[in-house]
Amino acid sequence: MKWKITLALSAACAALVIVLAKGFGRDPHEVPFMLRGQPAPPFALKTLQSGEIVSLEKLRGKPVVLNFWSTWCGPCRAEHPVLDWAFREYGTQAHFLGAVFEDTEENALGYIGRAGSPYPQLVDPKSQMAVDYGVAGVPETYFIDAEGIIRDKFVGPISRGAFAAQMRSVMGPRASAELPK
Amino acid sequence: MSSLLVALSLSIATLSGAFAPQQAGSAPLEPALEARVQRLGKQLRCATCQGLSIADSPASMARAQLDKVREMVSAGKSDDDIRAYFVARYGEWILLSPKPVGFNWLVWIGPALLLIFGFAVIIRQIRRTPSTAMRSGSPPVAAPAEDEYVRLVRSELEK
Repeated sequence: MKWKITLALSAACAALVIVLAKGFGRDPHEVPFMLRGQPAPPFALKTLQSGEIVSLEKLRGKPVVLNFWSTWCGPCRAEHPVLDWAFREYGTQAHFLGAVFEDTEENALGYIGRAGSPYPQLVDPKSQMAVDYGVAGVPETYFIDAEGIIRDKFVGPISRGAFAAQMRSVMGPRASAELPK
Repeated sequence: MSSLLVALSLSIATLSGAFAPQQAGSAPLEPALEARVQRLGKQLRCATCQGLSIADSPASMARAQLDKVREMVSAGKSDDDIRAYFVARYGEWILLSPKPVGFNWLVWIGPALLLIFGFAVIIRQIRRTPSTAMRSGSPPVAAPAEDEYVRLVRSELEK
């Protein structure tokens, strides 16, 4: 009889250890991202600079790099030079877009007036596109392939190395051979 | 002094634009629909806060997500559709109460099972104690053998 109780208690302890290991093994701040490998949600939004409407549908055939940012976000400002560099390096192989997250048009225009932006910045009213894309904070950079599939997103300020790796992945093995190292 | 420093820091932060400007959220819907929006909002976890729902959080991300709920409610989407929309983007993590399916059942029935187990152990111990004592034949703890000295004192007193 006693060995049955010992066995039951051992099983209960093992289950508890597994549950705790599963819980403590993950970063509590990490928000799961479920749209990897899924079609990118469509959008048609006006740009901050010209007011022209940009739709994802019309960008098919080339990868799209979509960066969510805000003027009130320090890491977004720190990331800005990397995105400028990325546009110079990869601007001919991919479409680059910015999306202003939870900010005023006035703030965003003021910032890009000072810091510059070589690519269109989209106005996302009430950040509804950000929610459609599963954004959990800024900055976040999405890499969408030529067929409109989200290949990955990078959470936080992206580095040159991480950007290059993402571009190689989104362009595919053949096309990425032509990309700058 | 410290309040002066706090006021100064806030002023500098405000002047430098290092803050999330308050965006106008969607206007509340009619009371019955807005109550549904708030009820659904309380079931969804805020991505940028700790343990708060999007209905309770003042974060800009939560406000945007609550606006999405409002938009979907006014478009006539069902509660399940709205929850499924958020789960499709953020996984089951977004649900403050996990769905009672598969491994999640452990969360729902685990505490009840532990309570039942605890009661079973207590009842077993209560029932077992007297019988064990009787089987071993040892004298009851409440009636220890009288000390010789006490017996002498008592007999003296009785005289």
